[in-house]
Amino acid sequence: MNALALASRRHGLWALLVALVVFLLALLVWLAGRFESSQVQNTLDRQAVSAVNDVRSGLNRNVQTLQAIFAGEPGPSMWSYQASTVLREHRELLRIEWRDTGLGIRAHADTPFRGAVFDRLGREHTLGDVSLACATARRFSGPAYSTSYFLPQSAGLGIEVLELCMPLVSAGQLSGYLVATYSLQDMLGELIEGGASRGVQLAFTEADGTRLALHGAVLRSNRVFTAQHLLDLPGNTLVLRIDSWRAEPDLFPNVLTALVTALSIALLSVLAMLGKDMRRRLRAEHGLADALAFRKAMEDSLVTGLRARDLQGRITYVNPAFCAMVGLSADELLGTSAPAPYWPPELVDEYQKRQAIRLAGSSPPRQGFESVFLRKDGSRFPVLIIEAPLIDATGIQTGWMSAVVDISEQRRVEELSRTSQERLQATARLATVGEMASLLSHELNQPLAAISSYATGSLNLLPRQDGLHAELETAMRRIAEQAERAGRVIRSVHDFVRRREQDRVPVAPRALIDAVMPLVQLQARKLGVQVETVCAEGLPDVLCDATMVEQVLLNLARNAMQAMDRPEIVRRKLVLKVVLAPSNERTIHHAGWTEFSVADVGPGIAPEVAAQLFTPFFTTKAEGMGLGLSLCRTVVEQHGGFLGFDANHPQGTIFRFTLPVAPP
Amino acid sequence: MERSLHATVFIVDDDASVRDALAWLLRSRRLLSEPFESADAFDALLEGGFSPREPSCLLLDVRMPGMSGLALFDRLAARGLLPLIPVIFLTGHADVPTAVDAVKRGAFDFCEKPFSDNALVDRVEAALAQSARALGALQEKASLKARLNELTERERDVMRLVVEGLPNKLIADQLDISVRTVEVHRAQVFDKMGAKSAVELANLLRNL
Repeated sequence: MNALALASRRHGLWALLVALVVFLLALLVWLAGRFESSQVQNTLDRQAVSAVNDVRSGLNRNVQTLQAIFAGEPGPSMWSYQASTVLREHRELLRIEWRDTGLGIRAHADTPFRGAVFDRLGREHTLGDVSLACATARRFSGPAYSTSYFLPQSAGLGIEVLELCMPLVSAGQLSGYLVATYSLQDMLGELIEGGASRGVQLAFTEADGTRLALHGAVLRSNRVFTAQHLLDLPGNTLVLRIDSWRAEPDLFPNVLTALVTALSIALLSVLAMLGKDMRRRLRAEHGLADALAFRKAMEDSLVTGLRARDLQGRITYVNPAFCAMVGLSADELLGTSAPAPYWPPELVDEYQKRQAIRLAGSSPPRQGFESVFLRKDGSRFPVLIIEAPLIDATGIQTGWMSAVVDISEQRRVEELSRTSQERLQATARLATVGEMASLLSHELNQPLAAISSYATGSLNLLPRQDGLHAELETAMRRIAEQAERAGRVIRSVHDFVRRREQDRVPVAPRALIDAVMPLVQLQARKLGVQVETVCAEGLPDVLCDATMVEQVLLNLARNAMQAMDRPEIVRRKLVLKVVLAPSNERTIHHAGWTEFSVADVGPGIAPEVAAQLFTPFFTTKAEGMGLGLSLCRTVVEQHGGFLGFDANHPQGTIFRFTLPVAPP
Repeated sequence: MERSLHATVFIVDDDASVRDALAWLLRSRRLLSEPFESADAFDALLEGGFSPREPSCLLLDVRMPGMSGLALFDRLAARGLLPLIPVIFLTGHADVPTAVDAVKRGAFDFCEKPFSDNALVDRVEAALAQSARALGALQEKASLKARLNELTERERDVMRLVVEGLPNKLIADQLDISVRTVEVHRAQVFDKMGAKSAVELANLLRNL
């Protein structure tokens, strides 16, 4: 949610930035364009002013030229000659007339460049304009101009003309008028210096914009600059207009605008690239953060302690598992060098030697080595350390990385297993001795009983009160006494080894099986036997000497596994099972019986072996004593139970024995 | 001691020398014995419907190949022969708890090997005495039954009423016979049953 808001805000900022830049660029382009336009306009305005000046000065010069014709009081023929000369030099003049004070024509001359312009209309039709101009001239006592008017020509054409009237004064008296007719169009061409430059159109217009005459090329552009200037003449006012299409034919009219635009584009693209780069960096940063979090989670989840040291032996890194192991915080550990705070003081010398060897460059064993560390609270614990050189990105070794595994729990389990094994073995030895003593006592008791019986019987038969017989009687009594003594010796030995015989307490069947499982599993792993235990829930406790019954279970399980230790038996399976026995007629007991069974899938028991199976000192094993099963039967029978065996289907043997259920 | 000659001691032990020695010991005390080499052998005898005619007892070894002494003991008990053939277990030291257990379940006694022999023979004699008593009771019961069978219908009726303690007069009334006849029957019953008084007669009948 937060990330989304952040992203949208970032996008907003980006959009704003881009908009601002685009706006600024547009403004720049527009301003540049406007600046250029105003430049063009100014030029045009100046052009218009100079053009008007040209026209005005041209007209003034013409007034003087025309006055010069009258110098020396010429006769009409002389005047005509001179007027024609003027007309040849000045194309803008169409006709020059010398009129008397009543406006009657005394002489006139026409321009040689055109036909007679007044032929079509007749000069008298224009007299109004002429007289108006002359009236103005007489009032000003100087040259004056008429309003322009259209003079139709042949073929539907026509020319816009302007009359100039100058009063002629001789000896202070008005002696006549000089009237000159100007063609407006030719004025534009002749009087303006340089004429119309390229791309410029010159025109005379009236004040209301009606175009009267034009000069120059036809305009093709729709974007036109215009400058106007008033031409103020005595008696008439004209407007000179200049149109120019040179301005802004395209978007980048000049270098400035082009440069600004190019820079802007460069700026924009740099911005875009920057943005792209930023996004890429952001992505990489995200990826890196994810990888870091992953690695951190991985390190934190490890139960194996990790420790990195540089080549000087200083600790550069520890993970939480390592800290927990030695009970020191990471801050306390980082940067410390030999002797490390978790080295037991008495072993510092040895560790330092080991570190020196490592620093000298010899690689530690790959499978690791065992060592002892010290916790903060002073307790020691065994660890397994596996070390590997720490190689950086350039392939140079920068230190050592060690994985440290706390093996105290493993040690404890090993110790426990060994203790339990030792206990069971001791019991086994004792039980074997006991069984031997029991067998021996039975075997010796039989002849002793016979001896004693014979002696007593003999005594009984001897007649009384006789000297010889008295001695015999004493001897017989001694024989009986000695036999009894031998019996007592045997009994005391027996008592010694069978001291714990009566140690019967209620035990859960599960507990009996669990007690022997470690040792059974040990051998099972060695022989590749799969062990299965079946022990129903809620079985009642059995009343027994647990140590001795464990011996029985162990003996039977071992026999079963050894029976299966043959190459042809592939699926080796041992089943230890406890069930509540059905009532057993061979034994009578009030609280019921629990039946234990040990089943194998070995080759089974041959009949000739079966007959001797429980005979003491009978064995099928090379190293056996032949007391195992005999002992088992003794133990079970001492508990009042029964030990027997059956064939297991489809193969193998099941040994079963019963134990009394403990009364509630 | 004199009666011993008419008693039998069965010895069941797998060890021949022990059997022999025990027989010798018993003979020295004038007791006859009969040896069996295994529990199965003795069991075979029982299977044949054996029942002792004279006082007897069984010296039984606990630990033997084949059927154990305890199993044989159980069979005897099942047949109800324990009072007639009391069992004395012969045990090795190791089997003492088993033997104690057996005694609790009705064995006469047990004796540890090697035994103090005359003490054993004393126990044997005690067992024989018990057997004799049981046998005697059994025989007495049998003779009583035989004598009862000798009584006539009328004599049995009279006896039933006599045992109930009725005087002759009332008996005569109930049976609808004369007092004199009752007296004759009564004398006949006392004579046949070997009783001297009505109380003695009642005791005899109660044992039956």
